[in-house]
Amino acid sequence: MMSHLSQAFAEWMAGGGREIGEIHIEPVEGGFVLSHRDDVSRTDVMAFSGAEAARDLAHFDEHGKFRPLKTAPNLRRGWKLHLADPGELRRALDYFYPAMLGVWLSQQRGRLVTVSLRDTLARQTGMYAVTKKITDAQAQTMIGSFCRTDGGCLKRILWPIAPGEPVTSLPAEKFQTEAPADTLPLLCHEACNLLVARARQVVKRAEASA
Amino acid sequence: MTAKPHSALIIVGHGSTVNADSSAPTFDHAAEIARRGVFGEVYCAFWKEEPSLRQVLHMVEANDIYVVPNFISEGYFTRTVIPRELELSGPVTQRDGRTIKYCEPVGNHPRMTELLLRRAAEVAPGVPPEKTSLFIVGHGTDLNENSAVAAKREVQNIAARGVYAEVLNAYMEEDPLIAKWDEHAAQPNVVIVPFFISDGLHSYEDIPVLLGIATESGGAASATDKEIFRHNPYQLRGRSLYYASSIGTEPLFADVILEQVAAFDAVHAATVSA
Repeated sequence: MMSHLSQAFAEWMAGGGREIGEIHIEPVEGGFVLSHRDDVSRTDVMAFSGAEAARDLAHFDEHGKFRPLKTAPNLRRGWKLHLADPGELRRALDYFYPAMLGVWLSQQRGRLVTVSLRDTLARQTGMYAVTKKITDAQAQTMIGSFCRTDGGCLKRILWPIAPGEPVTSLPAEKFQTEAPADTLPLLCHEACNLLVARARQVVKRAEASA
Repeated sequence: MTAKPHSALIIVGHGSTVNADSSAPTFDHAAEIARRGVFGEVYCAFWKEEPSLRQVLHMVEANDIYVVPNFISEGYFTRTVIPRELELSGPVTQRDGRTIKYCEPVGNHPRMTELLLRRAAEVAPGVPPEKTSLFIVGHGTDLNENSAVAAKREVQNIAARGVYAEVLNAYMEEDPLIAKWDEHAAQPNVVIVPFFISDGLHSYEDIPVLLGIATESGGAASATDKEIFRHNPYQLRGRSLYYASSIGTEPLFADVILEQVAAFDAVHAATVSA
């Protein structure tokens, strides 16, 4: 039996779905071919096959540098990946954009609970407990730089700084969940650990210069 | 272990924002377990990488979920961070029609002793253990972790088998210091096994520098530093020294993960129906 997620994703594909983040999905005879969306018409690319190849393609950028944030807009180019069936396609996309299919389906079903930045910081302990001290102004500036689509992260932000206090330091499209029919949106329902780590830096630097 | 086609397995690793190899063993063990088809679904989740502990449950479709920490010991992460981030209420959490079963970390399993012995034998083939000093190297100074306790327990277990002439604990930052390995070891052959969950700066560079088989790269250590494991034995300070990669890269960790699931079932069979 096909799982709910696989079924929902198959329906999205059948409805013309082709793009996730920087990935283009092309259905072909005998499976699917994935590539960087800017490489769709290129033929001088390296050919890979199988979902496991996606792990390395997603793990390092063009210069061989580690990509801890998979939704950063620095997916390497110059490759195509053949996947034999929908199961492989899903596994490969889980390497390229971890959890993004699942988060998308939860949002579609109205089951995605968003968490404000204040709530995320409030539950931190240990070395990150200090992040609670970040001011609203510092948080706005930090998010405006760290999460920006060009150079930061491709996800759409669904969380506010606090209830009734939205992020105002990025353009309005950064917070929209709607996407064209051929595009599956990358959704951020809660600040990631990278942003929490950045908040720690912001607080520590402010304390050092005070 | 009996197959669990209607259950999901989540293997939790620490991950890293700077070390590309930190998550590798966790992904490898997950791929191996998925290949065996034991679970209906197998996922990784990380504290510092993706999918995060806050995202991973959205990937899971099964209502019966096992969580195994790929950590070398119990401590701050297994007791505080993972339960908090996954919103666990104890070994068994019932939420939204799901049952989440929180297993012991891999490092706690009795088979760790066997894995360390295997790694030690592999790295020094044909070298007589009765003429060998075996070191299990931990970090030391981990404030909230019990990795030093786990390392000491393993040293006792290995020593009790009477295979090696001597089995010793050593640490990077506290006594007995691994930098003084030649003072601690009495045998002509010395085998060093790092007691870490993944390879990284500690195993690629920090420990080799302390051993005297490498020089500091000034932070340039990368995946190519696996070279350090390919030049055994090192002839140094009048001994033959054999240096192994971190124990967590051992493929048999996949079996230990599954055994922690079986161990959970054995302990909690009375309170949870699968």
